[in-house]
Amino acid sequence: MKNVLTSYFNQSKGTVRVPKRGIGQYGIFIAFIVLCVLLAIVTPKFLTVSNLTNIVTQVSINALLAFGVTFVIITGGIDLSIGSMVAVTGVVAALFAHPDSYPVIVPVLAGLLAGLALGALNGFVITRTKVPPFIVTLGTMTIGRGLALILSKGRPISNLSDSFNFIGGGQVLGIPSPIIILIIAFIGCSVLLKKTVMGRYMYAVGGNEQAAEASGIQLNKVKMMVYTLCGGLAALAGILLTSRITTGQPNAGIGFELDAIAAAIIGGTSTSGGTGTITGTLIGALLIGVISNGLDLLNVTSYYQQVVMGVIIIGAVVLDSLSQTNKR
Amino acid sequence: MIRIPSTIVCNVLGLTLLLAGCGQSGKSDQNGQDKPLVIGATMLSMQNEFIVNVNDEMAKKAEESGVEFISVDAERSALKQIEQVESFIAQKVDAIIMNPCEVEASSPAVTKALAAHIPIINVNSATSAKPTAFVGSDDVESGRIAMNYIAKRLNGKGNVVMMHGYMGQAAQIQREQGAREVLKQFPGLKLIAHQTGEWDRAKSMALMENWIQSYGSDINAVFAQNDEMGMGAVKALTSAGLKNKVIVVSIDAIPDALQAVKNGTLDATIFQNAEQQGAKAIETAIKIIKGQPYDKETLVPFELVTKENVGQYIK
Repeated sequence: MKNVLTSYFNQSKGTVRVPKRGIGQYGIFIAFIVLCVLLAIVTPKFLTVSNLTNIVTQVSINALLAFGVTFVIITGGIDLSIGSMVAVTGVVAALFAHPDSYPVIVPVLAGLLAGLALGALNGFVITRTKVPPFIVTLGTMTIGRGLALILSKGRPISNLSDSFNFIGGGQVLGIPSPIIILIIAFIGCSVLLKKTVMGRYMYAVGGNEQAAEASGIQLNKVKMMVYTLCGGLAALAGILLTSRITTGQPNAGIGFELDAIAAAIIGGTSTSGGTGTITGTLIGALLIGVISNGLDLLNVTSYYQQVVMGVIIIGAVVLDSLSQTNKR
Repeated sequence: MIRIPSTIVCNVLGLTLLLAGCGQSGKSDQNGQDKPLVIGATMLSMQNEFIVNVNDEMAKKAEESGVEFISVDAERSALKQIEQVESFIAQKVDAIIMNPCEVEASSPAVTKALAAHIPIINVNSATSAKPTAFVGSDDVESGRIAMNYIAKRLNGKGNVVMMHGYMGQAAQIQREQGAREVLKQFPGLKLIAHQTGEWDRAKSMALMENWIQSYGSDINAVFAQNDEMGMGAVKALTSAGLKNKVIVVSIDAIPDALQAVKNGTLDATIFQNAEQQGAKAIETAIKIIKGQPYDKETLVPFELVTKENVGQYIK
């Protein structure tokens, strides 16, 4: 199978977008650096170790979600249910995280399993029914929110064990644990996308589904994999959030899917599928985090923050489409 | 095929039912004794713990009084709320209790119920259209209590930051108004930053972290317009090792916040009496239906909860 794929890539380099850095991604990297320099000049509080650590910690949850949704978008799909999954998986973890009940591994596994199961459900319905992912995940978004409310009876679940709260609130060698989790997830996701056969299949499926199928790639298998993975990463984000705010909140994560999709797109993942990198997505997430932090430091109201974010998203997509036209 | 826009169908249907409701409302008043009374309630959001508590209390009180109680969730949408009130009118309920989503946008619901001769009671927050009766608390007062407490603790001098709820919601507007009234009386108290935390714990925690970066130990007190945000601020301050230097006050007295007041991490919260609001709403509704005298406005007072008196609020 691997040979088939390599030959496929070799013959059809013109039509299939292989993993390559587009202009969009460089553009956004430059924009990111420029923004950081500007903020460092405008406010001396920006470029301090404590503030930078602060930004990366705050970004970690969005970045985990964005990694998952990057896989999905690369295959040409979309997942709108991740915000709700943050709530469900967080609530599930919180239910098992009361002190003196279970060791910390139990709530973590329970949350992860819930996320993987919901992700697999997305994948199953999408591959078996041909209903567009947009519709399916819109449905699971509502189902997920409902499940979170049912499991928590509409109330936040607090009084979680110290060991559970350490996951999002602790430090290892002076580094906040969310940053460590983020780095591990970043390496894992990058390797998966760049170095494995599955990663190449993802690009192939998103680049040209018919061609990928003709070259022997099992579309359903790849899609099942990406949605399940996306659910798993959403669960990781949900557990991290729950631990960070030391409560399982049924209404956590509202609108998170939009921030995650924005991070992926800003980072150069094309909404038409076939392109995107984990590094790009991480920069996208960091950019969103830096804007929010910088404008808070400057005491700018959130209204302007939203306008700025919208302008950047549109700018990123314009850059992306320009780079596409240049290639043709 | 000719397609009739569904909105027209709905409007015509709604109007017919509305007119039918008008014609029969006189009769059902006289026959009311045979059938159990029905009260319909539309609640702002059943994802909000305080609202859930008010709702539970109403259900309990209704059962005690032998009244049938139908409760629906408006999911923060004023449009949905109006549709729900329309459906209550169509069902010819004896009274409607509304926990409004918005001051202006939920007002048509009041007008419609009154036009259909069905009494409507606003609970917890207000609409610009005047309902038959109002049961709730004066949110401006809660803002005043919170800021007065801060002023007292800081002897009228220091730097304060404020976390708003969703901008433009009645509670946000009124809590801010109350807080600012007090700030005016204390020229030594400076509001150095204010920003929305969207009533949300995670968002307000990130906001507080950013403020700590920006102002550090210059912050003497935080006024969060609800407990979720107050808890987020406490979490951020504790992690930064600043909690014992900064006073945090928030509103609602949710169980988490009461526990935090008891542990001394949250300095004070302000108790909004969900039980009283729920019970009084049902009582008022029954009085109106039975034609008994009732209060047009029932104000349930807020209470300041500190470490000294927290014991009586924890269940």
